[in-house]
Amino acid sequence: MDWTKVFLSILLLPLVAALVNMLFLRRNGTTAALVSITAAFFSMVLAMIALFKCTERYSVSFPWLSLGDFQASMGIYYNPMTATMLFVVTFVGFLIHVFSVGYMSDDPAKGRFFTGLSIFMFSMLGIVLADNLIMMFVFWELVGFSSYMLIAHYWNTEEARSACKKAFIMNRIGDFGMLLGIAWTYWHYKTVNLQALEVFSSQPGFVIHGGIALLLICGFIGKSAQFPLHTWLPDAMAGPTPVSALIHAATMVAAGIYFLCRIFCILDAQTLEVIVWLGSGMVVYAGICAFAQTDIKKILAYSTLSQLGYMAAAVGLGFPGLALFHTTTHAFFKALLFLGSGSVIHACHHEQDIFKMGGLFKKMPLTTALFAIGTIALCGVMFTSGYFSKDAIIEVAYFKNTPVFILLILGAFLTAGYMGRLFYVAFLGSPKSQNSEHAHESGFFMLVSLVVLAGMSLIGGYTQGWAPFARQLVSGELDTVHHQIVSLQAEGLFSVLGILPWAIGFAIALLFYGIGAKKDALQNHLPSVYSFVNQKLWFDEIYGFYVRNVQQRFADILNFCDVVLVGGLLVRGTAGLVGVVGMMARSLHVGNIHIYVYWFLAGLIIYWSFAMGYF
Amino acid sequence: MDAYYSSFIYLAVFVPLITGLMLLPMNTSAVNTTRSIALVGFVVPCIVSIWFAFGFYTSSASGEVYQALSSVDLGLEGLLGISLRFGLNGVSMPMFLLAGIVGLASGLYAIATAAHRLNLYLALLLIMLSGLMGTFASTDIFFFYFFHELALIPTFIMIGIWGGQGRRTAAMEMAVYLTLGAMISLVGLIMLYAQAPAIKTFNLIELKKYFQATGGATVLADNTFAMLLFGFGILVSLWPFHSWAPRGYAAAPSSAAMLHAGVLKKFGLYGLIQIAAPLLPIAGSQWIEVLIWLALGNIVVIGFITMAQRDLKLMVGYSSVMHMGYIFLGIATLSVAGMGGAILLMFAHGLSAALMFMLSTSVYRRTHSYDLNEMGGLGQQAPLLAGFFIAATMANIGLPGFANFWGEFTIFIALWNQYPWVVVPAATGVIISAVYGLRAVANIFFGEVSQSLKDYSKEHPITDIRLGERVPAIILLVALLAVGLYPKWMGDKLESALLKDYAKPQAVAPANVHVN
Repeated sequence: MDWTKVFLSILLLPLVAALVNMLFLRRNGTTAALVSITAAFFSMVLAMIALFKCTERYSVSFPWLSLGDFQASMGIYYNPMTATMLFVVTFVGFLIHVFSVGYMSDDPAKGRFFTGLSIFMFSMLGIVLADNLIMMFVFWELVGFSSYMLIAHYWNTEEARSACKKAFIMNRIGDFGMLLGIAWTYWHYKTVNLQALEVFSSQPGFVIHGGIALLLICGFIGKSAQFPLHTWLPDAMAGPTPVSALIHAATMVAAGIYFLCRIFCILDAQTLEVIVWLGSGMVVYAGICAFAQTDIKKILAYSTLSQLGYMAAAVGLGFPGLALFHTTTHAFFKALLFLGSGSVIHACHHEQDIFKMGGLFKKMPLTTALFAIGTIALCGVMFTSGYFSKDAIIEVAYFKNTPVFILLILGAFLTAGYMGRLFYVAFLGSPKSQNSEHAHESGFFMLVSLVVLAGMSLIGGYTQGWAPFARQLVSGELDTVHHQIVSLQAEGLFSVLGILPWAIGFAIALLFYGIGAKKDALQNHLPSVYSFVNQKLWFDEIYGFYVRNVQQRFADILNFCDVVLVGGLLVRGTAGLVGVVGMMARSLHVGNIHIYVYWFLAGLIIYWSFAMGYF
Repeated sequence: MDAYYSSFIYLAVFVPLITGLMLLPMNTSAVNTTRSIALVGFVVPCIVSIWFAFGFYTSSASGEVYQALSSVDLGLEGLLGISLRFGLNGVSMPMFLLAGIVGLASGLYAIATAAHRLNLYLALLLIMLSGLMGTFASTDIFFFYFFHELALIPTFIMIGIWGGQGRRTAAMEMAVYLTLGAMISLVGLIMLYAQAPAIKTFNLIELKKYFQATGGATVLADNTFAMLLFGFGILVSLWPFHSWAPRGYAAAPSSAAMLHAGVLKKFGLYGLIQIAAPLLPIAGSQWIEVLIWLALGNIVVIGFITMAQRDLKLMVGYSSVMHMGYIFLGIATLSVAGMGGAILLMFAHGLSAALMFMLSTSVYRRTHSYDLNEMGGLGQQAPLLAGFFIAATMANIGLPGFANFWGEFTIFIALWNQYPWVVVPAATGVIISAVYGLRAVANIFFGEVSQSLKDYSKEHPITDIRLGERVPAIILLVALLAVGLYPKWMGDKLESALLKDYAKPQAVAPANVHVN
């Protein structure tokens, strides 16, 4: 089989769909949906064929621009990482496309929505396949754009208006560092090809440049919404729920992690240390922030931030395979949770406040059950997919870095806490508003996606069942972890640690919040703590202050200088000087013969006095 | 074969001129005839330039990078060494193509408008276009300058007659600045001529050979380069000689602004790349440090000033000034990669700036306001216009897929090799431009419909983008995408020409030039 053609088809099918939709099907949303879904379906089928049949590393490259020293190319580098990610992106992507048919059924701008989804699929698959940093950067920016476009879907709302801008600019700030990093890589390592970098870095005497690594990870910080650029992700929930599921939970934000894994060979120890702390800090920070959220999607958004923290910590601890393992399982259960919340929101007439839901288990039993599966997978309950991937990361932290280990355990506990709160309040008890009173089970298109994702959330963690080529990614690292744990005789500890955090978390949430609560218990009993958590360490306020009072003021001052000094004094000044001289000269020529005689006499006197030596 | 090809250059240069002159005495009421004649004048250069761009063969047996060379003696050859010489190389081809495409787009846009004294309006635009095609096709530096003036003068007239608010002052300021810049660069060009007494010609190709053989590392050469740098720099709105540009463009009628900001402004940059830097590489390297600082002024200072604008058209004007900074930085590398990136960005910026000017006028037609704080929610009534505007903004801020990205990216990479610390402030431009670009989009199109728009639309119902606006916009976008998606086809031609001019000077340039 000609794999180049297969990979190119996987990549280009969504692009073709996007073009067709954009040019011909703007007003015909249903057909546009069909086109996009077909493209996503065939991409998925081809990705699955590749996953099982293409069992060797594969690379191909096409020159794209050559100007003297600058050579850019586009290419494909296929390895176990690529195989896994391709499957995850196309599989989850396809299911979310199907879900969207139901969810967006009454949206007037369906054509635009599916165009956006297809552009996103194209861009994301470009990142996954890219064989060099320049190509990655190209698609990196493109996913930023598709995210912008999809967050702005409800463009007449104030929320979307500021959220899309914020997401794009925050990503651009990260990309700024990444761009510098790529330029430096280009001249320092003399190549930006990922495979070549892997080969070089394995040679003896190769020294990793720490500065380059630090600049490159800025891209990750922006895209995966890590500290200090994390504030865009919760706001991005202004987009339609399928978008939140696909882009802001399962795939795009995970692209940052994927990028780290792709360039793992040129990350030095200090940079990895930075990543560990960023990640484990985010695990706890986002976990705490989630407690003050009442919007079901924002709770899940903070949960995503927290889970991205786990992945980052895994990379930082030197286990990129485990990071991608968690990325994979997370894609399944977080997509499930978001789509489940989408199903709820759709049923409750776009009500997103969990304290106005309640009692949904009676109205939508299937959605509730599937959401519960997502919840236990996220919390890492035994034998679900999250259990395998998250616990592996925690085990690594146990023998690598104790403070991080404690943070990650704390994170697991918090996860169960806020998910328990969400589940008890929104799904159990009795309805708390008209909207939830009249909720009804969702339609076929939405439920079928949820069922498939729930299945994957349950079994996705059994790597024995993975395609052999993709399993190479994780099997070695899992064995290492297992041996370490055995040699430290910590199996007993971990059989307890695999249960305690979520068990305690669920229990405390149940005791504290109760079933079907109408008010937030934390807000009632400890308002000061609640408001502190709700402030999220004032990041938005600080950035807002900076933009309004520093950046804009500075811009205004420069503008003033430009108008007054350059435009006014220098230009008008010069012109004015000429004008004044002209005016003075003109005042001498008034066309009156007497005046001219006086001027003549005055000139004569001056001339005479000069000649006589009086001057 | 050259005679065959060069005859098409004559078509591209003189068809607009002749049609333009034909329109001048036309009856103002014969609108349809006027439009048809003008259409011919706009379409011919575009077709010729596209045909050249695709049929352009990179290197001939003799290694000569110029194609379609021709020369007509107008009686000045023996006396001064001036002839009407045309020819295209990999550097001028993209500019020639740019002039053809933007010419057609602005022409179609102008044809569709109902300007009063349409025949005069179109005639001036056609004369401008003729001058543009001639400038980039000339291989004689006298005619290179002559055609530039031919294009420049109609601009002033057009601002004076059809301009918007404050047109008098704007036209005057622009005229003073541009005449000054043109005069200084003319002196520089004549100084070049004077330094080659042995060949006594304005023929660029001969001059290049002469200067590359003799070196030209003298004080005179140094001053010549300075004249060219600042003369051309003023024409390109090099900071701090920029203040004419935003206000001038704000006052100019859209088609004139499209052609000037998009194409004519590139004259100075083109002069630096095609004439000043290859002829005087050593003198050039003496001025690099100054150029870099001023270019950073363009990016950072003007970038912040752009953020402070509340008037859409001024914002677009300042943003166009800002992007000149990247191109200057590309030129400052004096390397094949940097120059190549500069040309790519000139091409891209020409298209995207024209598009932005055009679309902001389209916005104005619907809202009757340029005030960004008063607008809002236009996207609901004009979704297609919003789509075009977003695409133009994305091109302008260098999103991959549009040609601008390759220009900026190549420049950053090329610059890093020589002046890594310059890349850091320069690349902040990608954030700055995203800030103001997206803010404009959000303020105009997103959110709820603003009060002033509601009031205005009660009496003037808002329609989506019309055919006369859509076609030019599509032409410009397609060209941006053609280079943005697959830049190699243009890059290869560029490289072949640049390697000839810049591969060697790079080696002899003094190594001690650096920016602290």
